[in-house]
Amino acid sequence: MLHRSWRRVALATAGLLAVSLVGCSEEPTESTDLTENRAGAMAEYGVGDQFTATEPLSFSVLYNNHPNYPLKNDWLFWSELTKRTNVTLEPVAVPLSDYEQKRSLLIGAGDAPLIIPKTYHPAENAFVSSGAILPVSDYLDLMPHLKDKIEKWHFHPELDSLRQSDGKFYLLPGMEEKPTQDYSLVMRTDILDELGLAVPKTWDEVYAALKAMKAKYPDTYPFSDRWGKPTPGGALLNFLGASFGTNAGWNYQHTTWVPAEKKFVYTGASEQYRQMLAYLNKLVAEGLMDPESFTQTDDAARQKLANGKSFVISGNAQTLVNEYRPDLARTNPAAKLVKIPLPVGPAGEINPAPRTSSGGIMISTKARESKNFVAMMQFIDWLWYSDAGQEFSRWGVEGTTFARDGSGKRGLTGDVDVVGLNPKGSKHLQKDFGFYNGVFAYGGNLELVQSFFSPEEMEFQQVMNARTPIAVPPPYPLTDEEREQVALWETPLKDHVTQNTLTFILGQRPLTEWDAYVTELKSKNLDAYMQLVDKAYDRFQKENG
Amino acid sequence: MVTLGTKRAARRPRGPRDTRGYRVFQVVNGIILTAVVIVTLYPFVNIVARSLSDEANIIAGKVNLLPQGFNLTAYKLVTSDPMFWTNYRNTVVYTVVATAISIVLTTCYAYVLSKPQLKGRGALVGIAVFTMFFSGGLIPNYVLITSLGMKNSIWAVVIPNAINVFNLLVMKAFFESLPTELEEAAAVDGLNTYGILLRIVLPLSKAIIATMVLFYAVSFWNSWFTAFLYLDRQELFPVTVYLRNLIAGATGAQSAGGVADADAVQAAATLQAVTIVLTTLPILTVYPFIQRYFVSGVMLGAVKG
Repeated sequence: MLHRSWRRVALATAGLLAVSLVGCSEEPTESTDLTENRAGAMAEYGVGDQFTATEPLSFSVLYNNHPNYPLKNDWLFWSELTKRTNVTLEPVAVPLSDYEQKRSLLIGAGDAPLIIPKTYHPAENAFVSSGAILPVSDYLDLMPHLKDKIEKWHFHPELDSLRQSDGKFYLLPGMEEKPTQDYSLVMRTDILDELGLAVPKTWDEVYAALKAMKAKYPDTYPFSDRWGKPTPGGALLNFLGASFGTNAGWNYQHTTWVPAEKKFVYTGASEQYRQMLAYLNKLVAEGLMDPESFTQTDDAARQKLANGKSFVISGNAQTLVNEYRPDLARTNPAAKLVKIPLPVGPAGEINPAPRTSSGGIMISTKARESKNFVAMMQFIDWLWYSDAGQEFSRWGVEGTTFARDGSGKRGLTGDVDVVGLNPKGSKHLQKDFGFYNGVFAYGGNLELVQSFFSPEEMEFQQVMNARTPIAVPPPYPLTDEEREQVALWETPLKDHVTQNTLTFILGQRPLTEWDAYVTELKSKNLDAYMQLVDKAYDRFQKENG
Repeated sequence: MVTLGTKRAARRPRGPRDTRGYRVFQVVNGIILTAVVIVTLYPFVNIVARSLSDEANIIAGKVNLLPQGFNLTAYKLVTSDPMFWTNYRNTVVYTVVATAISIVLTTCYAYVLSKPQLKGRGALVGIAVFTMFFSGGLIPNYVLITSLGMKNSIWAVVIPNAINVFNLLVMKAFFESLPTELEEAAAVDGLNTYGILLRIVLPLSKAIIATMVLFYAVSFWNSWFTAFLYLDRQELFPVTVYLRNLIAGATGAQSAGGVADADAVQAAATLQAVTIVLTTLPILTVYPFIQRYFVSGVMLGAVKG
């Protein structure tokens, strides 16, 4: 036993933080008998009920400490939460800068708090084999609000995508009723007006608009992009790829599901990916796009936009309001910037955002042995999944931090401000009250998610909501051995794809060499990789389909 | 250093070494070293200039060596955050305590190791050197610190890295270079081992001790990782963790995910610069005072050892 645990230690040293000492100790109890774990729980707890523990309880929670609203113990959030639920949360504060690392460490050392929020799939995969986190799918019956929303919002495909090879999932997802696409192109509409052009609706029209800009201002690169680090073209490739029916950039996945053929293809070798590269290559070759777009710093890209050296850049609602507009207001007050609805590409009118973009919650396995386990699950269900809990964590307390007008629409009360909704307010909803906090507030129904949006952003979202949400690819959960094998293949494959993505776009390698490039990928075990994916997919279909 | 060298050269009477070739070398050397100084200094001057400039000029890329649109709002903002000062105080406390512990332990260990008559000296050196190449790893260390009950206390920061093996070896070399006759004479005059160390050896070792203080103080001042690992409460963090989080919050718009704070997703560029300046300033002011020991001290030990 000792020998085994020391071998594990050696492994852990080698960087496998996930392999944990906990894994050496006993297996989690498989029993479904919860009679020993009901202390403090409500006997009758259903949809619409307010959760209140029958005795005072406290649970530890991993807390991602955001520098813009650092943790304060006197936040109204904590006291009001205890008042409503009889539960006190004990936050373990971890700086946002290194949250993932500390999380691995704490789980690996068996010292993790009971509730571990802000975990983005597939980060939980690393901890599954150690047995340190709970297969939450076994306990959904304790969570009526969550179950209700799964049914109402047809969330089964998303849940399936979280499943492991044992058919269970280990992450309680953050659930949004409708996808929220935030990133798109930001364009200088005053330049469009000057050229007599309408806001482009498709990527072809974007090309035409850039061409017209270049003709009028030959000294500029009309499109100079940011978010080049650490993934070149992170944001642009992400949403452009989605428009072409593939995935790239930040969201690069090795496989792409082709619904029509009911099979997976390797993303970096697919025809859609090639088309996307060809499009960008055309922009760069004709001088419409700044070749530095993929490598320059964000600040450099902002400076070019601010100084009129470029007119188009990737952006989201926040960068538009907080960065681009203030930048330009100083150098060119006549300039107008608009985040245009995501241009449509070959994939049609789709909304590429996932409904689980806000991450999820892991539960430590040791919570299962606690006598308060049921109460804890009910508490999580209320805070993260009930309408009342979600409203509470976002908006706070009615009458104190927000009020409703005649039509029921929420608004901040007099002196409270957040996201610039109430610039005159002297107190801050996040900094001074602890609400609208990324650790506790995520997901929710469309109305709640959009309740903080500006009218301009609402307009953008309405266009996007009218489009078809992108299909969730079916799961192909891998076993531990398969995952190790795949990890060995994935790194060289991804490096090769990333590298060639850039050389193709920048024209350093002509696209006529595409076939040679695919052959190179094959020499890096592309076929074996896809066979393994297909095998895992078939196995999951057989066992769970 | 450059000016010091040229001054000395000017004062010295003309000798055989003042050949033309040597003078050319002096000039070239001076130019190269000046270039190195400029390259090293520029980023720092730039940060200082940014910290004193207004945001608009930074974004427009106008700030290089001199502040543009001088203002102090960012300084007021940073210094008005009580957590910044709490963490700052922690850094000072951790640095002072940790340096004191390190100096005591390193001196004792090094002194013992410098005595050739010590039995098992090779093994003791081996134990120390072994840790230079192998470590227990992150998780075992964490488990160790936790089970010793040092988590969330100052000891978790000041104890684990108390002896730096490189510093230990430098110090050992220095002690070995001290003439043994001195210690023998002291022994003859009736001093015991401790008396020799405290009254004879240490007063002669001010240079190396000052150097070690500098080495240790700088590394503890800059360190953030141990504090990040073993401390769970932000009021215990050193200011380096605060700074790191501020910068990461400013650059990691994506990892912020979920609900991001729209009115300040990007901690303003000035704010970062101010925090960097305030964090590096104290240790920077200590440098010039210890530097003269630093130059002679390390070389002394290394060359003669």
